[in-house]
Amino acid sequence: MNTSKPPTMDLQNLNPSSLKSRFATRFLRALTKINAQKPISPSSPTEIFQRYRRIKVAADKSMAYSVRSRRTWSRATLWRLRTRSPRSRLATLARRSSVKTRTTTVVDKTSHGKENKEERGAGLGVEEEELRELVPGGEAMDLCNLLDETAHYIKCLTTQVQVMRTIANLYSLD
Amino acid sequence: MLHRLESLESCNYNGMGVAVLERQAASLKWQQQNYVVQHNNLVELCASSMPQLQGLTGSNLGSGQMVELKRPEVFLGSDDFQEFVNFPVAGAEFGDSEKLDMVPPEAAADYCISRTSSCQMTALNTSVMKEEREDMILEKMESTTGSGRKSFNKRKPEAVADHKGKNKRIKGEGEPEVKTKCSTEISRNSSKENSKASEVQKLDYIHVRARRGQATDSHSLAERARREKISKKMKCLQDLVPSCNKITGKAGMLDEIINYVQSLQRQVEFLSMKIAALNSSVQFNVENLTMKEFPAYVANFPAAAKLPAMASLPYFQLNPLQKESVNCMLNESMLPPQTATEGIASASVSISEQSLSSSSMTQLQPFSTWNMDPQDIVPGIISNFKREYNFKCHYSPSYKTYSNDSDSYHS
Repeated sequence: MNTSKPPTMDLQNLNPSSLKSRFATRFLRALTKINAQKPISPSSPTEIFQRYRRIKVAADKSMAYSVRSRRTWSRATLWRLRTRSPRSRLATLARRSSVKTRTTTVVDKTSHGKENKEERGAGLGVEEEELRELVPGGEAMDLCNLLDETAHYIKCLTTQVQVMRTIANLYSLD
Repeated sequence: MLHRLESLESCNYNGMGVAVLERQAASLKWQQQNYVVQHNNLVELCASSMPQLQGLTGSNLGSGQMVELKRPEVFLGSDDFQEFVNFPVAGAEFGDSEKLDMVPPEAAADYCISRTSSCQMTALNTSVMKEEREDMILEKMESTTGSGRKSFNKRKPEAVADHKGKNKRIKGEGEPEVKTKCSTEISRNSSKENSKASEVQKLDYIHVRARRGQATDSHSLAERARREKISKKMKCLQDLVPSCNKITGKAGMLDEIINYVQSLQRQVEFLSMKIAALNSSVQFNVENLTMKEFPAYVANFPAAAKLPAMASLPYFQLNPLQKESVNCMLNESMLPPQTATEGIASASVSISEQSLSSSSMTQLQPFSTWNMDPQDIVPGIISNFKREYNFKCHYSPSYKTYSNDSDSYHS
């Protein structure tokens, strides 16, 4: 099977402006902040859970910031993180539902225009919708751009996983 | 006209001679409009010059250097088509044994050089030789290993395809209707004679352009272009996602992609949970760690995944609350292993059960040494456990009872 070590961790030649290093610096800074805010000792589940939430948010945020606004998914993530309070969740849902109706009409049109069988068009649509839900900001894109965004998102996610895994290993060794 | 050609011969074929050539090409054009010359004569003329050139400058041509000739449409007296053909640096086949200065390879690869083969414009009517010459050209073009430039490589088979298509048409009508462009791509309408042309080489075409006289079905063209784009992107995604190799078809690949994205997201959650738990026990001195030190720091732990020292972490023990939740989850259902086999799934689940029972972290060590697949399971476990947490945190009364229980347990 695959090697245990992440294959693309070329640590000797770490490009300081690569996505990986940008994300790593940001994330580490956020981690120190989180460490500084809370006392370290307690092990109660709530504490751990809250810390987990914060760390996850920090990870997503640092990844999105490393990508800036160049990608739709990063913009959507940042937007989502900024308006995370419950009162604006309604706004998020409203926005998402309105956008979704728009997208579904677009999907219907194209599936009618194609010469594919109806079930095939619908079958593709189901997975498309799932993908749209997974990729942040994917609701308002056509399939072409959605695939682009997915590719970039996958690349960034793998980077994120690599860096976080290394950090977790570092933590556990100290 | 001959003396003009002779003056052409005396030009050295470097970049300086281009302007001269173009000027003379323009003058030749005027002269040629008096001749009945079809564009394909150029082809076979230049082709006919090839063997002679090869005889003349065998060593030079042996390297296969070719200069791409860009013939302006005006030059040939027929409107709106351009021809892109690969030619050797030709021009001196008029019995002159003048040595040609071959264009250096970099310039040869540069398709922006426009040279006119105006010298070829004698009215030869060897239509019999046409096909052979064109085949030779095709072979030459195919044998030319293009430079590293992608566009160059792309255009080569297009020229090949185009010439073959042209061949068929010459047989049929004799009317040149070649639409090749230097910097754009040919369309691949398979309805007409290009069905054979596309057999020649299969490359990815990005742009589709309507052929003359066939642009009525713009919808289907647009659809075809769109579908090709999408399939191309799916291929890129196939390279990214490791599990997509055997699966063909859009739906299956999309499923795999969705699974992969989900697993990656779960891994992020799991790792952040891990960091949160480990974080509570370790003071991570990031202030002392700059970006330069980070790689060295990480490199000090070469097999970063093989960690023996996880037993030293007391805080990652699952206390009874967590144990309960994980246990009931394990009892309910095996997490559907999307990418792992059932054997691994059962093994990992059993190992996780052991870890729960022993409350020591050494049992969890194998997880980190495994590749991604089994870690799909563990993050799934942890995410379920997290969902339990969510549930408990939201419904505070029930959670308080749980916390009371755990407190009593601890004390």
